Amino acid sequence: MAASVRLLVRRVTRLSHGHVTVCPSGPSGPSGRCCWAPSSCRCFSDDRNTHFGFETVPEAEKAKRVYKVFENVAQNYDVMNDAMSLGIHRLWKDTLLHVMNPQPGARLLDVAGGTGDIAFRFLEYIRSQRERQRRHVARSMQALSWKDISDVYAAREGGEDGPRESRAVVCDINKEMLKVGKQKADSMDMSAGLSWVVGDAEELPFDDEQFDIYTVAFGIRNVTHIDQALQEALRVLKPGGRFMCLEFSKVRDPVLARLYDTYSFKIIPVLGEVIAGDWKSYQYLVESIRRFPDQEEFKRMIEDTGFYCVRYHNLTGGVVALHSGYKL
Amino acid sequence: MFRGVFGEFVTATVRVHRSLRHEALSRVVNPSSLFVRSFSDVKDEGGGAAPPPFDTGLLHFLVCPLSKKPLRYEAKTNELINEELGIAYPITDGIPNMIPQDARLIQKDAPATQE
Repeated sequence: MAASVRLLVRRVTRLSHGHVTVCPSGPSGPSGRCCWAPSSCRCFSDDRNTHFGFETVPEAEKAKRVYKVFENVAQNYDVMNDAMSLGIHRLWKDTLLHVMNPQPGARLLDVAGGTGDIAFRFLEYIRSQRERQRRHVARSMQALSWKDISDVYAAREGGEDGPRESRAVVCDINKEMLKVGKQKADSMDMSAGLSWVVGDAEELPFDDEQFDIYTVAFGIRNVTHIDQALQEALRVLKPGGRFMCLEFSKVRDPVLARLYDTYSFKIIPVLGEVIAGDWKSYQYLVESIRRFPDQEEFKRMIEDTGFYCVRYHNLTGGVVALHSGYKL
Repeated sequence: MFRGVFGEFVTATVRVHRSLRHEALSRVVNPSSLFVRSFSDVKDEGGGAAPPPFDTGLLHFLVCPLSKKPLRYEAKTNELINEELGIAYPITDGIPNMIPQDARLIQKDAPATQE
């Protein structure tokens, strides 16, 4: 499989760059790499390291290990979220939706959406908005002329809901998480307007300028190259589109910070072991939170990518930060 | 010191009860997912076609992650084909898998390596 991937990448770089010196029927194995022109070496340079929690690992390995972590936790993910955050994660996600305030007809891309929490909330919100609009229209239409009534009937027959239906696409690199999410959707009967795609946040399988809103909730710290994920977010958003990111961040208040640290390092992995039978995954989780940049630095990263009006709200004293930016 | 003792106590308890607890808990935690799984199995068998239908509405904005070009849905093999690069992305359980490493190379008459 590695050989076919190499073939594939070779073909892609040949298409994208004008000239690449490629060995004819290159020898398989690591020695084949040295034939590549230096410009195309980037994808194979695994001498660069990155962090995996408090460990240092080669970049190529991080994605694999993160995949393993989420494959292990997928079945218990929602239960663990409730246990670890004492249910507060629901409030965080509800806040995200309120700040987003999506209008009917909006298209959402939820990256690293896994079990689909944000997408479900989005569809619910839009549905209740629609109901509110309908009620408002009905109330204002109390005294109608015959012409108005016939217009309403014509419009209803012509096309339900007039403007576009809103749509939510959940994209995640991990098949297990999406499977759990899809099962949830089917059991809650919420599959209308919802799509599931397995994809890489650093290389989204979507065309340019397709989405009104891009969200990533508690997923961006697991991405190996955060700046690439941000670039892709900018690409797939329409002009005027909004980027929103919920992520664990730094707590300013020292007392709260100490409490939070104790809770994170002493209680969460134990909960992970007791409930999910997996200490190490939850150890990775709390460590990866510590390695993620703080509010200001992440804001700078988002601005550097090309988003405007970037701001953040601290939730629960800074445990979670909601960053938002616009593509103009 | 108390913290160390407490920690040891916890790990000991956990280790002793882990197998029992894990089994019991998995029995507790999984029935809902089991129920859903069996429900969807029944649905699939009832429906006849083994893979659930793929939502072709997605094709409007789904593209190949490598070349960003549109894809063609092949119903027979249940895959999304990028003609230009000659790769096919599989669809499992109605969810398209757009990771390049999981894609299949389509062998054409002119071998791919020659060009």
